[in-house]
Amino acid sequence: MSPELTDQTKKKIEEIASRYASKEAALLPVLHLVQHEKGFISQQEEKQVAHLLNIKPIKVKEVVTFYTMFNQKEVGKYHIQVCSNLSCSLLGSESLIDHLKNKLGIEIGETTSDKKFTLMTVECLGACEQAPCMMINFDYFGNLDKEKIDNILDNLE
Amino acid sequence: MTDKILTQHFGLENLFKIDVYLENKGYEAAKKALTDMKADEILEEVKAANLRGRGGAGFPAGVKWGFVPKDIEKPKYLCVNADEGEPGTFKDRYIMTHNPHLLIEGIIITSFCVGIHTAFIYIRGEYEAVALRLEQAISEAYDKDFLGESILGTGFKLDVYVHRGAGAYICGEETALLESLEGKRGNPRLKPPFPASVGLFGCPTVINNVETVSNIPSIILNGAAWFCQVGLPKDGGTRIFGVSGMVKKPGIYELPVGTNLKEIIIKHAGGMMEGKKLKAVIPGGMSAPILTAEEIDISMDFDSLVEAKSMLGSAAIIVIDEETSMLDVLRRVTKFYSHESCGQCTPCRIGNSWINKIVKRMADGNGKREDLDKIIQLANNMMGKTLCPLGDAAAMPVLSIIQKFRKELESYIPLGN
Amino acid sequence: MAKILIDERECDVAEGTTILKAAESAGLQIPHLCYHKAFMPEGSCRMCLVEIEGLPKLELACSTQVRDGMKVSTKSESVIEARKGVLECLLADHPIDCPICDKAGECKLQDYYEEYGLFESEFNEEKEKRQKKIEIGKNLLHDQERCVLCRRCVRFLDEVTKTRELGVFQRGVHAEVATYDGILVDNNYSGNLAELCPVGAITDKDFRFKTRTWFLQSRESICTLCSRGCNIYVESHQGFSRFSLPKRVYRIQTRENQMINGFWICDKGRYDYSYLDQERLDKIVVNNSEDPQSWQEITSIVAGEIGRLFHMKRSSHIGLILQSWLSNEELFLIDKIFRNDINIGKISFLDPPEESSDDFLLTAERTPNRRGAKEIGFDLQPADWEKFLEDVDLLFVFASPIKGDTDFSPLKAALDKIEKTVLFASHNHEINSLFDMVLPMSLIAEKGGSLTNIVGSVQGFSPALDAPGNCKPAWQFLVDLAKKLMINFDFYNQFSSPESIREVMKKEIPYFREEHE
Repeated sequence: MSPELTDQTKKKIEEIASRYASKEAALLPVLHLVQHEKGFISQQEEKQVAHLLNIKPIKVKEVVTFYTMFNQKEVGKYHIQVCSNLSCSLLGSESLIDHLKNKLGIEIGETTSDKKFTLMTVECLGACEQAPCMMINFDYFGNLDKEKIDNILDNLE
Repeated sequence: MTDKILTQHFGLENLFKIDVYLENKGYEAAKKALTDMKADEILEEVKAANLRGRGGAGFPAGVKWGFVPKDIEKPKYLCVNADEGEPGTFKDRYIMTHNPHLLIEGIIITSFCVGIHTAFIYIRGEYEAVALRLEQAISEAYDKDFLGESILGTGFKLDVYVHRGAGAYICGEETALLESLEGKRGNPRLKPPFPASVGLFGCPTVINNVETVSNIPSIILNGAAWFCQVGLPKDGGTRIFGVSGMVKKPGIYELPVGTNLKEIIIKHAGGMMEGKKLKAVIPGGMSAPILTAEEIDISMDFDSLVEAKSMLGSAAIIVIDEETSMLDVLRRVTKFYSHESCGQCTPCRIGNSWINKIVKRMADGNGKREDLDKIIQLANNMMGKTLCPLGDAAAMPVLSIIQKFRKELESYIPLGN
Repeated sequence: MAKILIDERECDVAEGTTILKAAESAGLQIPHLCYHKAFMPEGSCRMCLVEIEGLPKLELACSTQVRDGMKVSTKSESVIEARKGVLECLLADHPIDCPICDKAGECKLQDYYEEYGLFESEFNEEKEKRQKKIEIGKNLLHDQERCVLCRRCVRFLDEVTKTRELGVFQRGVHAEVATYDGILVDNNYSGNLAELCPVGAITDKDFRFKTRTWFLQSRESICTLCSRGCNIYVESHQGFSRFSLPKRVYRIQTRENQMINGFWICDKGRYDYSYLDQERLDKIVVNNSEDPQSWQEITSIVAGEIGRLFHMKRSSHIGLILQSWLSNEELFLIDKIFRNDINIGKISFLDPPEESSDDFLLTAERTPNRRGAKEIGFDLQPADWEKFLEDVDLLFVFASPIKGDTDFSPLKAALDKIEKTVLFASHNHEINSLFDMVLPMSLIAEKGGSLTNIVGSVQGFSPALDAPGNCKPAWQFLVDLAKKLMINFDFYNQFSSPESIREVMKKEIPYFREEHE
């Protein structure tokens, strides 16, 4: 389904791998790179990465399923991850999550039919001073309330 | 003398750029260390400063460095722990974002002292922007000869790389961090051997928290005696307290070790939000046992908090107000640890999930009278009985919340259940 | 050396020994699931926690090394509490249906649950739903609900076979062992996984639900399917008083021997055991029909035939074809009788052809004692059969026990022309009908003796099974025959057991002295 990794990505992977005493150590950065390019990590990518780093594909799968940031299926153009940990929940993240569910018409873990948004809850994002907060792709948004969320979402292409 | 060591220049525009950093005594300590000092002298200075680990465990950094075998053929590594996963904690993000060169300078001195030529900064995956900033700073440092083949012409070689995690709290545990850095699942390792002798790629490895390493330049520049004057004699320097929750001014506050918790909340963080009353405080990140409103008149240092049966941990202060249900607090805690257990040790893998299921049932209004005792028993089964500290980290807050708020928790159990 | 106290028991062990091993040497078993001698301690199941005087926390027995003067309790209140805690957690998710689990009777979890109190489950929440009965290998099924995540299987495939068909996916309570991308465990050591699994998570399709483990008698033996000589247990069922069973052997298990096979056996040795029961020849057959004569009478006839040719000085017309399924003792006797005493002209080996080895345990040689034959002094080169059989009047053949693995075609044409042909066989085979006399032989698993493996280790063995019907061990027949021949009666009269033969063999052939054992 998904095409081969680009030569540029492959070259970058080689460069990253050279930092470590074992090629396998480059697995996390390489998976980030692949996910950046592909959006998620399918079995095909697992195998390609395994091949490039000279490890068994099963080991890549073990790693992909251990770390929550690796998407195992396609996510929307905007991956919304709302913190549901303590500091954020004290300041009302729960109602914001409900608001997002209503607004997007999806449940947690789902993607809108136009593939624009995926909604997830996550544990602490390390931005508790801006609670309640969320991440859209890799951008942090803090001190959220419903209006602010509406504003942010409405301005996304 | 300022009582800010890490954040004193935070107000400066573009501090993250090497030129601004250099204008403010940046890399002076590295120059001093590499050109005027011997490795042993640096080690003695850091030991004398009694700089205790800022990640949570509070182990003296100098002692840790001292464990690394000296005459060994294998390479040695420095891993800077920037995983910052402990809920409530965000201090390292500030250091890395606003003052990345301070961390790099600390890395240079640490590496020189221990004889390390490769350092990795293991940063949590979500901090992509921070990682980019670090990489920019590292690249500037290479350009100005603070990193590379022969730093400042001294012949000392050091490479620094940023390595991003990918969403696993457990990777803040030092051996899980090493596994993760090696491209594996973040399963903590059995100790001994300790990382100082067998660490990354089987080589001697120093693992220090971002804040810990960032303290090194000041210690080298100003001396251990100066450092000890700030804070407490046995626990010198400052801590960056990260305050979140129901306060007026959540944020980071760098204050001397031993600053009173109540003072931090009221004076620095602006006190409680309008109309809110303080109910409880988590003083050192989520795994620290909770303190009640009556217990917050306390010195924020490792020993005082241990005495109060809590811990300073990462000095992340979460302030909880009267309107918050402790059952909800408990639910956030148990959900978190159940989600983050790596799954290796039986009591943690299943215990946390079991506790979380009970708490969720209680929160759904279906609690039973025996539930709290069962949770206590399951938590005790984890306490001190798992391979890594996650078992304890999960058990401690749970046990303290039940112990201190039992009446309230029982009130959520329907009569007759 | 370190002197330590475990539960008031003093034991002296080498410095660096783990508490678990020290306890075992003192006869104390410390419960464990993830720990296995073959692997580095992993310390994850937390069953082996013990109390060490002076230490604030319980410590792992599997990985903690002893120090002189250490005082260990393996049964203090806190230790028992911790173990119960672990069991309670494991059993929260594990089905409590031992009666319908194939592992029942040899399940560690079941044993420990019995030992630590048979407590009532206080788990009232929803169990994790996982897959059951997943095919994970050619002979293996996996039940994820029974898995305790000890990772023994994964470590085996990582460290021993290096094939890594299984992995651990997800984390926390969702962690599970599984295959990847439909690639099943398919290596020649896969069967070890079912044996390694401490619970009923990985079961062996070959054995599963064929019988219950408690009916089995487990006896030591040596695998004879190649020349490695792996140590095994032959596990057999005696049948019921009212019902007999179609077979005796239900499974072959590994028996640890660090000098030979470590902890493992190959799948060939594990699964190709049907020859022990199937198509067995258990009757004396003369001219293609069951013969009523006794072994004594038959032995006399055979001795008479040999004697006749011997006294006519026609010993060179006696031919003997061997296979290296015979024990050292039997080959020694054959050497004595046929080469020394009678001095027959023709002795040659007709072993099954070599197959490919797997670079681990399985050797290319597919008989167990070629090395023994060589050390006794036999020439193992196959003969030019046409020439060999040319002027043979009396032919003895000791043939392979497994159907079809030897090419007898070079003999077939000649058999008709030979005056008298005698086959010593353990199985029914089309070749049998071409012999005048076919005598039923016991298998290695049914007799005593010793074998010399490919690297020259001499290993003794005892019967693991009773010989069926009228089967006789070759050594017994050979002793009887030699005595009847009356050439060297006193020499053979001293042999009443394989051991007594071995004693003499050791004296006569330097190789078999102790150092090779």
